[in-house]
Amino acid sequence: MSQLRTALTGPLPRSEALVAATRDLDRGRTTPEAVEELYRRGESEVDELEARLGLDVRSGGYLRWADLFRPFAETWGGFTVGPITRYFETNTFFRQPILHSPPVRTPGAIRKRLPAPPSSDLSNRKVTLPGPYTFAGLLDNRSGETRESLTHRLGRLLSEEVRELYGAGYRTFQFQEPLLVVDPPEGPLAEAAVASYRSISQAAQGSTTIVWTFFADARPAFPLLDRLAVSVIGVDLAETEPAELPVPASPRSLGLGCIDPRTTLLETPDDVVRIVRGAFERFHPPQLWLGPGAPLDLLPYEAATRKLELLPAVRQRLGESGGAEA
Amino acid sequence: MTGQRLFPTQEIGSLAKPRWQRLGQRGETIDERGREEFRRWDDAIHFANGAGPLAGALLGGPPSPSDPAAFRDLGALFLLRYLEAAGLDRVYDGEARRIEMYEYPVRQMRGLEFLGHVRSFDNKYYLKAAATGPVELLAPYHVDEFDFVRANARAIPKIPITGPYTLAEWSYNEHYLGRQAGWKGREARRRAEREFVLDVARKAIRPTLQALIDRGASVIQIDEPAAGTHPKEADLVAEGFNAATEGLDAVFSMHICFSDYRTLFPAILEAKACRQWAWEFANRDTADHDGYETLKLFREYGDDREIGLGVLDVHRDEVESPERVADRILRASTILGDPSRIWVNPDCGLRTRSLDVAWKKLTAMVEGARMARATLEGSS
Repeated sequence: MSQLRTALTGPLPRSEALVAATRDLDRGRTTPEAVEELYRRGESEVDELEARLGLDVRSGGYLRWADLFRPFAETWGGFTVGPITRYFETNTFFRQPILHSPPVRTPGAIRKRLPAPPSSDLSNRKVTLPGPYTFAGLLDNRSGETRESLTHRLGRLLSEEVRELYGAGYRTFQFQEPLLVVDPPEGPLAEAAVASYRSISQAAQGSTTIVWTFFADARPAFPLLDRLAVSVIGVDLAETEPAELPVPASPRSLGLGCIDPRTTLLETPDDVVRIVRGAFERFHPPQLWLGPGAPLDLLPYEAATRKLELLPAVRQRLGESGGAEA
Repeated sequence: MTGQRLFPTQEIGSLAKPRWQRLGQRGETIDERGREEFRRWDDAIHFANGAGPLAGALLGGPPSPSDPAAFRDLGALFLLRYLEAAGLDRVYDGEARRIEMYEYPVRQMRGLEFLGHVRSFDNKYYLKAAATGPVELLAPYHVDEFDFVRANARAIPKIPITGPYTLAEWSYNEHYLGRQAGWKGREARRRAEREFVLDVARKAIRPTLQALIDRGASVIQIDEPAAGTHPKEADLVAEGFNAATEGLDAVFSMHICFSDYRTLFPAILEAKACRQWAWEFANRDTADHDGYETLKLFREYGDDREIGLGVLDVHRDEVESPERVADRILRASTILGDPSRIWVNPDCGLRTRSLDVAWKKLTAMVEGARMARATLEGSS
């Protein structure tokens, strides 16, 4: 099983207890202290869940994050928090960051907002961050800077973020890049995306960097994805047929998003095992990462955790048959 | 619009329930805060006189029996009078009887099962159901609440009802999706979605609309906030709307919010019975961005139906000044080239604002409409 890795793709949904508490907080029916206690308990439960599922790297669930961009919009210079905006083709929304002037990173700010790790050993913790292309594409850019330049600049700032977190002990960094497949860049913008990941990879030498794409078919963008200087490219199997992906120029690790958060229908381990075996045969990846195709917070907590049982089931079947060693 | 004054105003969705109603419906004692709230609003809009023994009890009379239905009725009457007192031309009851716009209608149907809460944004969530069997209507809904509003309204009642596309899109469609071979593909999802939308439209929404019309409903707002979710499904929104409304005799509007409206054109225009597009705009109208320029699309596609113009941002406590509201109306008038097509409303329901903030916003809206009217008509 040395080639197979399992991990969450993004945030987990909040539990029903946390939903009730955060609602009550907004309505003045509970105290911030009581909600904080539930957050801590929720993060502990996520840690236990990730451990029980045998995930190779653990995230903590990002239960406190209002959306992928909010910690940056609230703590980095140049931003204000803007209007409620639909997050791709989902019924979830984010507050669009508004960039008024060149962004300025605030050292330490993002680290403080990461889920609290259960121990001081951070080597098996995964940090999930917005990818520079998606970040630059979804914010409201009023800074006067071109999108190409901004993509590159955000890549440099995120590389500084990675450098700081690497220094703290984190070794796995995932960048959420749905826009790379929903609206693939071309020309100078594509080059800016490539350059931004070059910056990031230089800051994270010796770590695992992951670009995870979702919400659209990765095939059209795959030649570009293959140029990104990252360890793993992740695709959403609800949108992408892996057997139709081009074979990378040189063997590269792949992420297969085998859990669809748009439905509570359960994926079957046999189907996923078949896909995994096919991917090993076709791509010969150094590693193959399995996880949700897109963030699981499109589901209620119970449904999300039920669907995650797929991961150990697949691992067990591959282990039993030795399929992952192919 | 012939003979109607410019820029009539209307509500668009739910309001926060007063504390005394929430406590009363839960069977809890009405505390002093709740009573003070009741007295304060009665002082402001004089709704309690003649409203029955419960109102008398809340004003300090003898305690009344704790009947949740009585609290619901009084809450509905209060919010109806609240909207009327704010000066709106078309009103409803602030959806005082509803849990919210999705859960309530879903509970009136068979074939859907609630699974848990999903976050919409920030700390806002909704209880999400899955279609686990074919959708069937238990009984037409909103009928009793409409009867109550019609019996008590002094202004024109406009009843909102959640549309078929939104009900389907906000649910997991396991029954319909599970029938598709290879359910993981986008095409399979679309086929399943279409079946789901049309079942909801024909089997649940249409009979409910017919029942409401039979009871005298003449102005009906179909809420489709999910319309912009999938840019390639605007045709399904229109198809669902048509399946629900075709041949029915009422003035229908379609409310859409927080969407990229460009993706809806031109397919959405196939919603044949829609008389008015009531959409959110203020949320996207900022100092350096004209949130109303989307209206150009209606000109571009030659659509001359009415516009329900969102002029209040419902997600911020900041109260728009009447001058700002008037400016928004006048900008929209210029873009449309015909001010008589404009109705003025909040972007969406003001449920997430306090009643105090919503009141200030609504009265500013009415005053802003008056100012805009005065500007165009040359007098107030």
